Amino acid sequence: MDGQLKRGLLDVCVLAAIKDEASYGYQIIKDLKPYVALSESTLYTILKRLEAEKSLTVKAAEHGGRLRKYYAITDRGKQRIEEFRNDWEALLSIYQFITKEAKPSE
Amino acid sequence: MNKLDFLDALRVKLSDLPESDREERLAFYGEMIDDQIEDGLTEEDAVAAIGTVDDVAAQIHAETPLLAIVKEKITPKRSLRTWEIVLLVLGAPLWIPLLISTLAVVLSVYIVMWAVVLSLYAADLALAISALGCAAITVVWLLTGNPLGAGCALGATLVCAGLTILLFWGCAFATKGVVALTRLLRARRRKR
Repeated sequence: MDGQLKRGLLDVCVLAAIKDEASYGYQIIKDLKPYVALSESTLYTILKRLEAEKSLTVKAAEHGGRLRKYYAITDRGKQRIEEFRNDWEALLSIYQFITKEAKPSE
Repeated sequence: MNKLDFLDALRVKLSDLPESDREERLAFYGEMIDDQIEDGLTEEDAVAAIGTVDDVAAQIHAETPLLAIVKEKITPKRSLRTWEIVLLVLGAPLWIPLLISTLAVVLSVYIVMWAVVLSLYAADLALAISALGCAAITVVWLLTGNPLGAGCALGATLVCAGLTILLFWGCAFATKGVVALTRLLRARRRKR
């Protein structure tokens, strides 16, 4: 898959995983496992990027005698998911155009 | 491999990353391993699930912008910086007076140069006033019937006037010289 496209897609996937309630690294990977295999280092990079653009906030909380980082979505993050929905419709029509063009060569 | 060994080995592999970035990543992996253990895996399995140290390090390097690594490489190591600071602080009684006196010497040389120029102008002004004075005496002696004195005074007037003009060229030349020197010094400092 095209790197740029995949990057944007993974960003939205991670945002969707924390959309309803704040979550932590391992839980995000587990939640996304049925859809995308995300390595820890890839997730780390995505989380850092989303934090930098203020799509999520990070908060350390105590859990079982140790600290665990929880990631919570912001309004800007929700807006990104919304933008993705709009983009997707445009992408779908492009997809239809591409597959239609490809047919005669079959 | 247990969690601590894994993190230590990874720390060594990531030594070219900025320290804060490296420790944050290590904390992230530590949390991942802890969460997997909590999920029912053994410590060994949890570490194995993350991947080998080499693979993880290679992946992190592939994802880290080159700029961050380069920045870390060109920044002096912390121990060196600390030593430099200690030396600077301990040497302060020595290098601060030296710096002040060097600056003072440079400043005074500069002031002396302008003083020379200024005194040249003063001498030129004095010559001009003398020329005017001699001219006045020439006129007075001519009117009071002292042609010999008037002739001498006229000669003095001409000498003073000629010296005034000559010295004015000298003044202009000296001024240009000092201004050019100032510009040269300023340009060299900017280059540095």
